[in-house]
Amino acid sequence: MLTKRVLETQQEDKSQWLRDLMALVAEKRDRVAFGQLFDHFAPMLRAYSLAQQPGAHLIADEIAQEVMIRLWEKAHTYKPEKAAVSTWVFTLARNYRIDMIRKTARFVDDVDPSRLWDEMEDDAAEPFQALQEKRAKEQVHKGLKELPVEQVQVLAKVYMEGKTHQEASDELDLPLGTVKSRVRLALRKMEVVLRGSE
Amino acid sequence: MMASYHPPTELLAAYAAGTLKNSYALCVATHLEYCSECRAAVQRLNIVGAELMEDLAPTEVSESIKSAVFDRLDQIEAGQSSSPSSSASPIGSAFVSDVGNASVQATTAPSEPAGNVPKSLSYFNISDFSSLTWKKATKAISSSRLFCDVNDARVELLRIMPGGSLGKHTHIGEEVTVILQGSFSDEDGVYCRGDFMIRDESHQHMTVATNDAECICLTVQDGPIQFTGWFMRLLNPFLRIIWVRSAEPAY
Repeated sequence: MLTKRVLETQQEDKSQWLRDLMALVAEKRDRVAFGQLFDHFAPMLRAYSLAQQPGAHLIADEIAQEVMIRLWEKAHTYKPEKAAVSTWVFTLARNYRIDMIRKTARFVDDVDPSRLWDEMEDDAAEPFQALQEKRAKEQVHKGLKELPVEQVQVLAKVYMEGKTHQEASDELDLPLGTVKSRVRLALRKMEVVLRGSE
Repeated sequence: MMASYHPPTELLAAYAAGTLKNSYALCVATHLEYCSECRAAVQRLNIVGAELMEDLAPTEVSESIKSAVFDRLDQIEAGQSSSPSSSASPIGSAFVSDVGNASVQATTAPSEPAGNVPKSLSYFNISDFSSLTWKKATKAISSSRLFCDVNDARVELLRIMPGGSLGKHTHIGEEVTVILQGSFSDEDGVYCRGDFMIRDESHQHMTVATNDAECICLTVQDGPIQFTGWFMRLLNPFLRIIWVRSAEPAY
């Protein structure tokens, strides 16, 4: 079926392939499809973990395993019209990281933080129109390659290394305001968040 | 109604990246319930995370990791709660024990709080605002503490009677406010349900609830507020302890 489709780009081809695999996992509990998703995402998930904790290979293995288990368990909650599989997997990985940070008590308080992200993801109301989602993904994909290096660097610090703006500012030896404005500029250029003029 | 005041872009990005501290994340999550525009923005911000993740140099995964995961699938399928971490979600475990998942969805959906309480506050088991223990600070204002975040940031609900005023004040740290019910105004504008405000030392403002209804908002105080009226200024040293107790109009 997949081969019959006339696909515009390799990127779209990959997105559809991942969606098909997810459908097989969700509906048929298909282990071959799950194995392919594992081969695709596990190396990425390890890299995501290592970006935050360089050299911590055991933790990276654990993240890869646990996030893939969550993918298996939550496959039926994945909504293909709302997000690409990779976007959904990113949110699973991020939420897992938030849980881990809580366990190691960086945020000491009485709240279970994963709920603040989890539940919003699950019922983020109106489905993000499939077409808009596709367009946004293409824009970000292309946009990241065209951004100035220093803007990508700040985004990577925040998203991949899990640094707060303050930590990014300390590490890059930049004023806090500069870090924030690079984030804003990058996101505006990719048309991710357009408002905010300063 | 749509919210018209939104979190700054970099705050939404930190939320999507998962680096925002809980008190701020709670405020953003609450705003998102009222704001479809920001929900769509967060969806796009998640795409940025996904693309950056895909751009990382992939690392090798040993076969033993993969076979360990498949062993876990066997255990899950066998209906055992096998996850060594506490991360097994109710949705996930329910799914294996109940194939038709329509009923599962219903039972695992977050309990819908009554009235005007946003879902983001469901963790605190608030059935409705009037059932909370409100500590009266002045005739016009009472507060109810939710929790304390890192750096002693206080997360509370404030209840301002119709026409009540918080007095003229500024902040040592940052203050984030999300309106849950009613509305209030300051020198910069009128704020309604869902609106998200962030204030710091550079803002000296005076907050007044509108006359027709009481106003309830979620606030995070990153540092004590400073009253700037001539009389209240004398009180500043004491306000680090209980600032809101003396929040009568300062003029």
